[in-house]
Amino acid sequence: MSFKIAVVGDQDTVTGFALAGATYAHISTTKEETLVKLGEFFASDEIGLVLITHRVAEELGHDFRRMLQTKRLLPLVLRIPDKTGYAPEVDELREIIKRTVGVEITIREEGG
Amino acid sequence: MAMAIAVYPTRMELLKLRQRVGLAQRGHDLLKEKVDALVIEFFEVVRRIQEARAKALEQLSAAHRALLMCFAIMGTLETKQASKEAKRELQVEISTRHIMGIAVPTVEVGEVERNALMRGYSLRMTSSVLDEASREFERALKLLIGLAELEGSAFAIARELERTKRRVNALEYILIPRLKEALKFIVMKLDEIERENFSRLKRIKAMLEERE
Amino acid sequence: MSADRLIKLELSKLNVHLPQRRLSLKEALLSAKPQVVTRDGGVHKFKREELEFLAGLLPEADRDKLQLPILIALEPKLGRGTARISGEAEVKVVSRVLEKEPAAGELLIYRPEVAILRRKLPTTTQYLFLW
Repeated sequence: MSFKIAVVGDQDTVTGFALAGATYAHISTTKEETLVKLGEFFASDEIGLVLITHRVAEELGHDFRRMLQTKRLLPLVLRIPDKTGYAPEVDELREIIKRTVGVEITIREEGG
Repeated sequence: MAMAIAVYPTRMELLKLRQRVGLAQRGHDLLKEKVDALVIEFFEVVRRIQEARAKALEQLSAAHRALLMCFAIMGTLETKQASKEAKRELQVEISTRHIMGIAVPTVEVGEVERNALMRGYSLRMTSSVLDEASREFERALKLLIGLAELEGSAFAIARELERTKRRVNALEYILIPRLKEALKFIVMKLDEIERENFSRLKRIKAMLEERE
Repeated sequence: MSADRLIKLELSKLNVHLPQRRLSLKEALLSAKPQVVTRDGGVHKFKREELEFLAGLLPEADRDKLQLPILIALEPKLGRGTARISGEAEVKVVSRVLEKEPAAGELLIYRPEVAILRRKLPTTTQYLFLW
């Protein structure tokens, strides 16, 4: 099945990925508006991948995490740094590893 | 913890209980093997994520640098306008494949990189900095699509890993100890009954002998 | 659900990812879409580069003997983390990949070797749970 791509984030991120061919875009404004838009993206059968900046994802906090837990397999959701390169200290994958396997490993490469 | 399993001390029950212990033990051992296999799969995906993430993020920051250059030379408004005019119909093929019964996503994407004409913004907009920014973001997007597939797989495997581990623990620390407890109880009771029967028989025998 | 039924359900799910019928390397190499149908009705695809890698490890005459995917049999009675590879051609190939002494008939491999095997042959190997 073919799917389209959506992007949620700041003006620069949205501009860049629109230039690259992403079909849907939302420049984050208020938390409420962004949540509604994400709800639409998650419910759409057309969208296979949603890119969202770490910063916006963090601002949405708990509500966003709950949406992730209850969403279907698609769309895939990938959190990405914005132009400042911002990514949170706590890496979700690393947390999962600690919980399930009981080993701490470093996932993020320095720099980049 | 161990709430006792109610059992009647009969031979039949003993047999059934032994079968239950056998099943629980077999389930435990096999699910433990499954956990080990899932750990192998999980770490392999994590290893690939490390590589893919480093590459994708490096490309993403290169893309942002190119975009800033475009803003500076072509103008912010003009760049945004071009992004609105651009053809925005990129499609990705997503299907699922199964790793030990877990559905994980498989993403295939054709050529993401386009030439200036295919990008669709009007030619009066065309400039080398705009093309450059577009191309860099196309490259970043391609790498991020690959990363999304890997992360999606990692989360799916992790969920199954947690679920299977919970089952292993429930078997190891709750069900199997309770069953063994019940087994011990039955064996003890049956022994007791046997001893009673034995002494009763002895008494009867003695009585019978006395009569003779 | 009773605990026993839950265990039986888990056991019944262990091998649903395995193919209904395996494909020989020869068949796979000749096929335009090398794939097998799994027991739960899914499709398992083989990567061509892996098929070609395997072909390079085997004399041509053995290509119809190698059945894909190669099964990594996990069997608790072998001891935790120990796996068995069976079949002459399969043993030959896996021995080459892991640089182990080839054994006749079957080969026992251990967890780190399973990890290497899965890394080098992600689509042409699969786990088989035995009891």
